[in-house]
Amino acid sequence: MTFLTDPVAWWIEPFTSNPFMTKALAAGLLAVLTTSMVGTWVVLRSLNFLGDALAHGVLPGIAIAFIVGFDTGLGALAAAIVMVSAISFIPRISPLSEDTSIGVLFVGLLALAVVIMSSGAAAGSGDIDRFLFGSITGVQNTDLVRQAVVAVVAVGGAVVFYRAFFVMTFCEVQAEMARLRPRLTHGILMVLLAITIVGSFQVVGSLLVMAFLIAPPATASMFLRRVPLIMVAAVLIGAVSVNIGLLLSYHHRLAGGASMALTAVAILFAAMLIRALVYALRPAPHEDQLPVQMLADSR
Amino acid sequence: MTVEAGANQRRRRGIRKSGLVVAAAAALFAAACTGTDAETDAPDATDASSAVPSVVTTTSIWGDVVSNVGCDDSVSVTTLIPQGGDPHSYEPSLRDRETMGAADLVVANGLGLEERIEDTLEAVAAEGVHVFEVAEHIDTIEFEFSGGHDDHGHDDHDEEDGHDHEDDHGHDHSGDDPHVWFDPQRVAGVLGELADELIHAGADADTINRCLDSYREALEDTDAEIAEILDAVPTDRRILITNHDAFGYFADRYGFEIVGTVIPSLSTAAETNPALLEELAEIIEHEGVPAVFSETTHSDADIQALATAAGDISVVQLLTGSLAPEGEEGDTLIGMLRFNANAIADALG
Repeated sequence: MTFLTDPVAWWIEPFTSNPFMTKALAAGLLAVLTTSMVGTWVVLRSLNFLGDALAHGVLPGIAIAFIVGFDTGLGALAAAIVMVSAISFIPRISPLSEDTSIGVLFVGLLALAVVIMSSGAAAGSGDIDRFLFGSITGVQNTDLVRQAVVAVVAVGGAVVFYRAFFVMTFCEVQAEMARLRPRLTHGILMVLLAITIVGSFQVVGSLLVMAFLIAPPATASMFLRRVPLIMVAAVLIGAVSVNIGLLLSYHHRLAGGASMALTAVAILFAAMLIRALVYALRPAPHEDQLPVQMLADSR
Repeated sequence: MTVEAGANQRRRRGIRKSGLVVAAAAALFAAACTGTDAETDAPDATDASSAVPSVVTTTSIWGDVVSNVGCDDSVSVTTLIPQGGDPHSYEPSLRDRETMGAADLVVANGLGLEERIEDTLEAVAAEGVHVFEVAEHIDTIEFEFSGGHDDHGHDDHDEEDGHDHEDDHGHDHSGDDPHVWFDPQRVAGVLGELADELIHAGADADTINRCLDSYREALEDTDAEIAEILDAVPTDRRILITNHDAFGYFADRYGFEIVGTVIPSLSTAAETNPALLEELAEIIEHEGVPAVFSETTHSDADIQALATAAGDISVVQLLTGSLAPEGEEGDTLIGMLRFNANAIADALG
């Protein structure tokens, strides 16, 4: 209960007295800024499975880069590009759906990564976990620079392609008519998603980046209608998750990345319960109780 | 094109948002005023530097070695990985990060043993904390990826020391075996450098040198004692089949042959495969191997299955990446080496 009885010591001092906590916080906040932009579209367009698959699909690229001694971020990016291209390519040359091709590539690439990491070439450094969970305790300035660049790309992409993503998400027919090329737009979103995952995996890990990608925008989308507001709220919710997660890890010796992810998900469930309670206490369902997608579909 | 919200919705949102804003402001405030008053916190480490240096070790094994070289409380030792924890998979918390950052010296095994602490070690070193990776200063054996069978009868890993270990710090994953502590002679050989590090960190030189001599002697005695214990095992039965490839140095030192490991890797994080298990079962039956060896820090499911498949031979547990809990046999490096030697001698002798 020290977080109530001595709030300054619990909430503030760990950050003021430890430069590494500030670095971890900066890394977490940059990750949140990046993921919230792309994550909002991922949630609104129900692309969670694609995101999850992509987060694992980058692993063979990371593994190969790790063994060869190449930059793992570039390895991840290369793998992501291969995967994104394959996802859009498979449905064109076969009767398989995009969902199926994502699923197949997901397990295929994950298995490939495990095979690579337990092969002789990896010479016993066979740990794929390190990529899945990242290292918030090992953040260095170069990581922050990389993350900042990715954050700029993600925020820039969210602004530049806002209209295209919006039309594609809510009025696909109209998008066709307006010649907004939904297929290309979808491709751009996938590339942004890939960049987001690649930019954040070194800190929170490729698996836990999904928590940031989904949980804060999903929480925000339960309460907000307007997409820019969802993005802003997602950043704030994500920032709170990072903050609390780091402090839990600090005060209670918990794994850092997982603590942050868990906090983000816990906030989602808490918000969901509060929302359900509030609605249970009031009579008629209102239009704004409907999720954004359904509203748009009904128009 | 935007979707309108009702008045109630807007009000609720307002309240929620104000809460978030406060929390976020706290976060930003915390970030903004860093580094101003460093003296407020940092509880244990800095003020202790006047007395004895604080040394942080990753594994309990190096914790024990450092306590012995820094005997009579001439250093204060903190170990990160809890007893029974697997050094291959331990992930540090931010508290651990603080402990490491505040240490006068961090002693790690290195060579990729602490897979998920590596990045943190690098970050700590970049901040100027002295990090001593013991295995980097030891004449290492290279990992041979050999599944099970091919090198029958070849009983040492003669590398003629074909590579040097000076600059391959950090991101080198050439496959040097990190499990150096299983050879007491090699550990004894590196104690001098470790002692220098402790003295450099501020420990009393006379005390350290005294401790160093007696511990080195103790390790050398242990080496002789183990050789004697293992005399019970005839040369043609000096065959080890272990869970993961952790006993390269033991085998090298005492003339054993590791004919195979269930996990064909220096790390417990890798995986076995059915072909390998079948191969190992064949070797066991062909050579009449009476026992295989599991370890305390990792699941023994696969090796139990192997033992059953190979005709119900016994599975004997050894200590590998962590000392035994305090008070039990094997709660020091010397105790652990003796425990393993006895277990191996009983099983194979």
